[in-house]
This record gives sequence, structure tokens and C-alpha cells, in this order.
Amino acid sequence: MAEKEESGFMAMLTRPSAKYSLLSLLVVGFFSGIFFWGGFNTGMEATNTLEFCIGCHEMRDNVYVEYKKTIHYTNRTGVRAVCSDCHVPKDWTHKMIRKIQASKEVWGKITGVIDTPEKFETHRLQLAENEWARMKASDSRECRNCHSFDAMDVEKQKLRGSKMHKIGIAEKKTCIDCHKGIAHRKPKGMKEDEDE
Amino acid sequence: MSKSIVSTAVAGALLVLGSQSAFAAPDWSKVAKRDINVFHAGATPIEWMTKKSDHSGSAGMRKGETCIGCHEEKGTLNFNFKRLADKELEPKGAPKTMMFPVSVQAAYDAANLYIRLTFKAPAGGADKGDKDNELKATMLFADAKVPQGDQYGCWQSCHTDARTMPGADDKKTKYTPGGAYELVQWASKGNKVSDGTVTTERKMSGGTSGAKAEGGKSGDSYTITYTLKNPGEGKTVPFGIAIHADNASGRFHHVSLGYKLGIGADGEVKAAKL
Repeated sequence: MAEKEESGFMAMLTRPSAKYSLLSLLVVGFFSGIFFWGGFNTGMEATNTLEFCIGCHEMRDNVYVEYKKTIHYTNRTGVRAVCSDCHVPKDWTHKMIRKIQASKEVWGKITGVIDTPEKFETHRLQLAENEWARMKASDSRECRNCHSFDAMDVEKQKLRGSKMHKIGIAEKKTCIDCHKGIAHRKPKGMKEDEDE
Repeated sequence: MSKSIVSTAVAGALLVLGSQSAFAAPDWSKVAKRDINVFHAGATPIEWMTKKSDHSGSAGMRKGETCIGCHEEKGTLNFNFKRLADKELEPKGAPKTMMFPVSVQAAYDAANLYIRLTFKAPAGGADKGDKDNELKATMLFADAKVPQGDQYGCWQSCHTDARTMPGADDKKTKYTPGGAYELVQWASKGNKVSDGTVTTERKMSGGTSGAKAEGGKSGDSYTITYTLKNPGEGKTVPFGIAIHADNASGRFHHVSLGYKLGIGADGEVKAAKL
């Protein structure tokens, strides 16, 4: 009996509707689509907030504490860059790829890979290198969501930044080539870049 | 009677000559001043300076940029002093005053080069390792063979394994990978002058600059005057200044970046011809 009902339900899904007009089905489908799509994106955006990121003590007790002392957290202009501004791409495709990759971090959380400050320190270099490599490969795309050489007036900068940016522009450097450790402590045992 | 007049005249002439040679130094009120800031550099030896992951400006250094080319700006030094005082770069503790200006004047005649430093030395040091000397004022002059001596100033002599650096051998002194620095130091105890060198090690004697120095404190202001053999008109000599204030020892000095002294030549400090 139950089996018959189930096959009846499947049959209902696959059988052309005689009861509802095509227009009704399209309208319902259209709005349901918006609802679910919106819900999906809202859910994904919720994982992009600072609160979400520091919901885990691994982030809250380590990198967040360091970041709070930096210019990306507090500055004279009152513009704040939160975790996802630097660590999650803005455009949808790259964002999805990054989010899928990040599912591995859930496994890390469950198995407690960095659940003590000591364990975090042990992994700090590896974690940083992963992120630097990602930033380098994307030509520091997330930095460039806010900063660009086009919009930068190097003459208005302090001398040391001005001179270094001129070199950076001439040599087609990318932000992360020089700006490592600007929001978190630099790891010990950093390797020197091979292209230098 | 006439004999005594003659002897008085001779004695007077000798006195005049004597005082002339003792006070051959220039009229400093007529010599231009250049303010050079000295600062507490923490544990940032040449190895730190040239390592990209520590000092991103090392890329500029490799292109021939000088320290002051990036860091001296609007009459001050644009360092992040919080970072320099932080325990990562200064594990022992930083002095209360991280930077202060030293007024530098220079002049020369055929025989000598005169350099005068005037400054107010700050209290509040973090290291009082030199019980004997409230203050020492040292100048280093790099010869042409010191690698990048005209770019890096004293830093080519400052190494991570030298005494008072974190974890370093207590007996290892400054050294340079090549060439030599002339070292001239005035120490407050007994107005002592040292004329030394920095080569494979630092020696507080055996220098060739024939240095003399006079120093003293008036109120809260120090004035130190060095007299050295003139290296020759037309020469530009790279130099750096180190002030050990408030009984500081070893690396707990306030140091200048590398500057150039022009003797009838160009330089941040130009010696006046007498």
C-alpha cells in the first residue's frame, strides 16, 4: 500500500499536470526560486560575518586578537575590513569555490587540529603560507577590492611607502608580496621569497 | 729687568700660541647646524634589515636606496616606534624616549676635521649596564671598503650574534664583513676619549684618526666636540652617531641612520671651511 502511494507520488511529479495551468506553475516556480536562492545566499552571507568567524575560539583567541590591534580593524576613517573582506572573494564564482574549500575547515574544527594556542602556533606557518599562496595566485584580488595602484597617489604617501610602491608598480608586484603580517602576527620560520 | 721683560714676552707668546692650538676649533656660532635624530633601534641588526620577511624595505636597499632615503621625513624619522618598542623587537624593554635630535656641526682646516654634537640626553633608559658612564657619544666612519657603507651607515657593523643581542655571545663585539670603521668615542667618566676601529672585531684603541674629544654637560644639554685628522678636502665620509644615554650599555644606545659628511664635498652634513 505504502509502496503504491510512493510510486503514485513519483508518478505525480513526472506526469504532466492536468490540474494547474502552465502559468501557475511558472509563477509559483519563479517565486519559490527567488525564495530559495535568496535564502541560500543569505545563509552563505551569514558565514561571511565577523561574528560567524569568531564564533569558534580558534579564530577568536588567536588571529582575531591580533587583527584587533591593526589598521584594518580600527583607523581614522572608520572603515573596517572584516575577516571575509580579505579571506573570501566577493564575486559569486570564486566565493563558491572558496566556500567549498572551506568545508575542509569544518573537518579541522571537528578533529581539533588547532584547538589550543600551542597547536595553532604549530600550524601558523602552514596556514599563513596557504593563504599567501591563494592571495598571490589571485593577484591579491581581495586587497584590490578596496586598494588599487590606479587610485593610489604615491606622492601623498609617507616616503617609505611611496618609494616602495614605486618599485612595486615598476616590477608588477602584487600586494601580498610585501604586505604579509599586516593583520595577524607573522609566523616564525618564514621562508624568503625565491623570486628575490 | 730687560731679561725678565723678554722672558715675560716669550712666556706670553707661548701662552698665545698654546691657547691658539688648544682653541683652534671654529667659531661654532657661524657653522650651520644639521639636526640628526637618534633612536632606539631595538634588536634590528643588519641580518634583520636585509631580510625581506622582517623588513620589506630590504627590496629598496638592494636597489641602492639609503636608510634615510625612506625613513627621514619632515625633520623626523617615520618609524613605527610602537613596533620597535614591542617585545618582539625589544625583548628587554625599551627606553621611555625612543628618539631625540642631535644637532651636528662640522668644520675643517688643512690639518683637522672638527665635529660638534649638541643634544639633550633623555633619562628613562631601559638598560643601565654602564655604571661608570652616564653618557657615551660615539661616531663611526665607514671606509670605502665597508660593503654598502655609504648606504647602511653603522648597520653593517651591527649583527645578530653580537653581545647584548637576544641570546648572543657576551664576548662577541661589533664587526664588519669587509673594510673598516673608524670609531671615536667620548665617555663622560673622566672625559675619556677612545680612538678605535671596527674590523673583524671592535677595538677601543689603535685608531688612525688621531681623535681628540672634549665634552661636557651644561644644564641638561651635552656638547661634545671631536677633532680628527682631516681625511682630505673633496672627500665624503659616511658616518653614524650612537649615544649611550642614562648609563646604557651595548645595543641600548640611540643611534642615527647612515649619513654623509662632505669635506668640501656634498653630504647631508657639510663641513665648513675655516
